[in-house]
Amino acid sequence: MSSDAIIEAAELHKTYDGAGVVTHALRGVSMRIDSGEFAAIMGPSGSGKSTLMHILGCLDTPTSGTYRLDGRDISELDAHELALMRRETVGFVFQAFNLLPRATVMRNVALPMLYTRVPADEREDRAAAAMRSVGLEESLWTHRSNELSGGQMQRVAIARALVNDPSLVLADEPTGNLDTATGDSVMELFARLNGEGRTIVLITHEPDIAQKARRVVRIQDGEIVEDAATADAEIRAYGSGGEA
Amino acid sequence: MRICDLLAETLHSLTSNKVRSGLTILGIVVGIASVIAMLSLGAGSQASIESSIQSAGSNLLTVMPSAAGQQGAGFRMAAGNVQSLTREDAEALAGIDLITGAAASAQGNAQIVNKDVNANAQLLGVTPAYAEINNVTVHTGAFISERDDRSYAQVVVLGSSLAEDLFGTDGDPVGQRVRSGNMLLTVIGVLEDKGVSGFTNVDSAALVPLSTAQRYVTGSEYVSSITLAVADEEQMDAAENAVETMLLARHAIADPDYADFRIQNMADMLETVSTVTGTFTTLLAAIAGISLLVGGIGIMNMMLTTVTERTREIGLRKAIGADDDVISLQFLAESVMLTLVGGAVGVLAGWGIGTAAGAVLGVDALVSWNAIALAATVSATIGVVFGFYPARRAARMSPIEALRYQ
Repeated sequence: MSSDAIIEAAELHKTYDGAGVVTHALRGVSMRIDSGEFAAIMGPSGSGKSTLMHILGCLDTPTSGTYRLDGRDISELDAHELALMRRETVGFVFQAFNLLPRATVMRNVALPMLYTRVPADEREDRAAAAMRSVGLEESLWTHRSNELSGGQMQRVAIARALVNDPSLVLADEPTGNLDTATGDSVMELFARLNGEGRTIVLITHEPDIAQKARRVVRIQDGEIVEDAATADAEIRAYGSGGEA
Repeated sequence: MRICDLLAETLHSLTSNKVRSGLTILGIVVGIASVIAMLSLGAGSQASIESSIQSAGSNLLTVMPSAAGQQGAGFRMAAGNVQSLTREDAEALAGIDLITGAAASAQGNAQIVNKDVNANAQLLGVTPAYAEINNVTVHTGAFISERDDRSYAQVVVLGSSLAEDLFGTDGDPVGQRVRSGNMLLTVIGVLEDKGVSGFTNVDSAALVPLSTAQRYVTGSEYVSSITLAVADEEQMDAAENAVETMLLARHAIADPDYADFRIQNMADMLETVSTVTGTFTTLLAAIAGISLLVGGIGIMNMMLTTVTERTREIGLRKAIGADDDVISLQFLAESVMLTLVGGAVGVLAGWGIGTAAGAVLGVDALVSWNAIALAATVSATIGVVFGFYPARRAARMSPIEALRYQ
């Protein structure tokens, strides 16, 4: 395997055993995402894409199968080791932004560095660099995060995801709470960050959004049904079955 | 996570909801303040009782008549009803090596009249030795002399407040005459203010020669107590034994159980009183401690609410790499900071309340370093104990569930 691989998943299974009913969320997912890729994992709700994202983001471990993130096998790690892995390797972007509402933009962006060994005097510089890279104007840095618009909030969240310089940016429905125009500008930002060399994995159920990635992995009922470059992928809207 | 980051995060969280944090802190403030107030009042009254005993002289032995055969029994006849001690006993006891002085005194109550003013006073028949042993000094005039005592002189030395009652603040009582029963007493001196010492308030007493009191007031050769000064406080027990042996011999009593007197040791008394006031203080503080417990439950209540409210924040922090221990530490730090702030404010408030209540009760409230250290320890402990469960609950949340929480 190439040393360029960020994500190497082999035969991932995940089952949930709740009240006697065993649910198979993942039924043997294998995939590889290399450094510098911009991939979308697309699927309808219940397809297992969230479960896959949790495993890829080291929030959960698979029931069976192996998963190597940035060269490290995380299938057998305990909660503490998973936390360390997330801290160093993954930057999360969520649908609901998940900012600390009463804290300033600067404080929100610097938050992940609290749990690392970044020296205190370096933190502001790094947070500032991250905020500049996502296009947040300096005048906003001292605002409380709940004073911002949705698009600004998501930029703050993206800056926060970048501040620890992760190998992988994992965005879970990042445009789900935004209007189309704002969503598009966020997608442009991801594209630009990818152009700068960031590895980005996007989880979405919207074909329009998935199309903006360079590669689309479609997942359904816990299995990958299509994995192709965006230009080749047959992207369909779910539900209606019509063309996107 | 660094300590200063932890503190900054904690402060940020607590100031995000100032009203709630404030009210929770108030619970701890009330608890700590009541404990501190109780301890300070207790320590203050203990100190004032101890100093009053010490001002009477902690090197003193007091011998009092006691019904024969009642020594050590639960019931004992009032000393006034038993007569067994004489002036000669006192003189003999003064000869013991360890004893530096002996003062016999006879006690009675009398109405003292100066023209149209009269006052009820404790009348003490005393010998010249009384002044030195009981540590009283004359403010104006002179104390009772040997000659006064030998000659049944009708002279009186007035306690400071009694003199004021009879002659007013400006009058000079020395040389004036007052009447008591069938005696016409010449005032020869007024004592310095002494305050309550032991169980006698000499300020409101009238002192006459022992012989005069025996002849005109009590009408008997017996005395109501003999006060003995012991040379060395370390030797109180030895002195007490020597006194007992001599008196038993003089009264021809073979079995100490049948002694017709009892000996009070000021040092023992001091210890007893200290124990009693100490117990009382502990009891009051324990009652106040209940409000501290209630404050602690308030902390737990707030922290549980906070943990639930901040579920998504906990999920986020976990997602960006905080492990269980760090999350636990953060919430624990919040509860400990609440209780420490509450404890600090509580110490100040308790000191204020104690001082104010002390002023009303006439006690000097004493806030000791021990009480403050206790308050700090207790409030930190409450923070840890009542914050532990909520913190654990926060730490154990699954990041996935927490991020999904609506």
